[in-house]
Amino acid sequence: MASENMKQRRLRTSLTILGVIIGISAIIALASLGEGFRTTVKTRMERGFELDVLTVIPGTLFAGYRPQRFTEIEVKNVSQVANVSIATPIMQIGNVTLYKGNEKVSAFVAAAVNFTEFQQVFSDRFRFEEGGVPEHVGNDTLVLGHKVNYPNEAEPAFAHFNDTVTVTLGNIPISYHPYVKLENYSFTVAGILQKTGTPGLTNFDYWAFIPLDTARKIYGTNSSDLIFVKVPNPEFSESVAEDIEDLFPPYQITVLVPLSFIQQVDFILNVIEIFLTSVASIALLVAGIGIMNIMTVSVMERTREIGILKAIGAKNRTVLTMFLAETVLIGLAGSLTGVLTGYGLAHVLSYVLSGFFTPRHGSAFQTPETPGMSINPVFSLPWTVGAIVFGTLICILFGLYPARKAAKLDPVEALRYE
Amino acid sequence: MASLLEARGVKKTYRMGRVLVPALRGITFEVKEGEFVAIFGPSGSGKSTLLHVLGGLDRPEEGEVFMGGTSFSKLNANELAEIRLRKIGFVFQFFNLLPRLTALRNVELPLALADVPEKKSIEKAREVLRLVGLEDRMNHRPPELSGGEQQRVAIARALISDPKIVLADEPTGNLDTATGWEIVQLMKRLNEEKAQTFVVVTHDPSIAETADRVLQLKDGLIGGVKKGGLRL
Repeated sequence: MASENMKQRRLRTSLTILGVIIGISAIIALASLGEGFRTTVKTRMERGFELDVLTVIPGTLFAGYRPQRFTEIEVKNVSQVANVSIATPIMQIGNVTLYKGNEKVSAFVAAAVNFTEFQQVFSDRFRFEEGGVPEHVGNDTLVLGHKVNYPNEAEPAFAHFNDTVTVTLGNIPISYHPYVKLENYSFTVAGILQKTGTPGLTNFDYWAFIPLDTARKIYGTNSSDLIFVKVPNPEFSESVAEDIEDLFPPYQITVLVPLSFIQQVDFILNVIEIFLTSVASIALLVAGIGIMNIMTVSVMERTREIGILKAIGAKNRTVLTMFLAETVLIGLAGSLTGVLTGYGLAHVLSYVLSGFFTPRHGSAFQTPETPGMSINPVFSLPWTVGAIVFGTLICILFGLYPARKAAKLDPVEALRYE
Repeated sequence: MASLLEARGVKKTYRMGRVLVPALRGITFEVKEGEFVAIFGPSGSGKSTLLHVLGGLDRPEEGEVFMGGTSFSKLNANELAEIRLRKIGFVFQFFNLLPRLTALRNVELPLALADVPEKKSIEKAREVLRLVGLEDRMNHRPPELSGGEQQRVAIARALISDPKIVLADEPTGNLDTATGWEIVQLMKRLNEEKAQTFVVVTHDPSIAETADRVLQLKDGLIGGVKKGGLRL
């Protein structure tokens, strides 16, 4: 009977349903785009960080300052912490220029590493396009990041496997370091790395690598700037980080845990998503008021009908149920359609938005090789079910007042109503 | 014969704008099973108000209405609705059918409200519609039916739950004389063949002529009782 009544007021009912559709669509579109945004950001961050690699750096960002580099003993202690697979130290040498004949390129950083350990730590990222880590690493082994070797994609490579290259090693980029050297050394190219692509803490594209032992000899120290720590599973990272911090006096070092960083970002994205959907909920609230309006008018129009029903024996509850059934139908129809149009809208929006994220060369935030960022709307069952339930509940809530009004009509008064 | 419906000292005032109009000023009478009673009076004499009170649609300010020994004043709104649903049939001057439902669905409505299974209620609705002579108009909606046909549908609706009593409020008031007469004959036939009790308020003399008993209502009081119909 509820659906019969609605058919009679087709236009008004469809407008009311439209209100619900808009509300639910907005919620679903924003939620699924938000979810897609989160996925995009997360994947890109996960590509930029090795989740199973922690970085131990001297000092803390605000509270502490460590006038000291990591000693060999400290590195060893770190490597013996439970659940640490490998701990490998590196020295960072800044301001590095490489020459081959008249050709000259520069690297953002020259990292002095233990090649074998380093390759184990960054098994996914430290991959070669040409050459590789030699079985016996010599004093003059040199590995070049992709962009170091190809500063301009259009031009030929700077060097190839087995070429001899002269490297000017600059100072160590920590100002308190006591020694500064600017001297040329001869190295032999052992390999060229594949392109890393994504920006992140460890984008090796602009790095050059030399053996740790060589650097130690040149700079006359066994100390190191950073320790990379690999854990067997990202789950261990928090506990391992705490154990490493316990090895040092308070506020002397920082352990960067990519997982917790990502969790933090995830939390922020959650807050944004909730905010967006709350805004969308306002649309639904407006739709609810629309329902209240249409149902109140409908009760007035049908006063006589209600009188008839009550005269022939309909109970208050029956009349109440009848009117509520109509609002539930409106709610369900609107919510179901709204979910569909919401996902449709999300796809359209994602298509439009992806235009804004296509990188422009020379943009301040993106390296030219960064692929275009696309946000794909995510279908979420909880959101879908939640939106339908929420939409229907709002309809019931706003339909309750007019339905009660109908139920409480005095039959004699109602019969007299013209 | 046992008393089916009884009014005792029923008083009712209703408000018209700012004026209080005493509609019923102490009505006492009873209706026995199988009777055809007419309450006769000019318009404004409180006929409709009396019928509403007798049917449990309205409550009197004073006095009581009993049905089968139970006082309506002891029942709450839901219990009264239940009585109207199962024991009372209403017929109105303006038919009061639901315009969007077919004749069949209109007639079936009380059984639907009583949660009778649809198959059974539809079957019963067809049966009652046949009884009032509308077997070939069942799927028409009220606007497609003549006034007489609509009133037959309303009578069928009143009969479907096998009520103890049918209360009719000016059933011929909106019909031409000939059609009105047919409706009166229909009610009389149902009264005779099925021993259906009727209480009809009217100012139509043709009904008063047909009734077993006529109560004269004047200024909210019963002025006279005539047995065996009223000859004017």
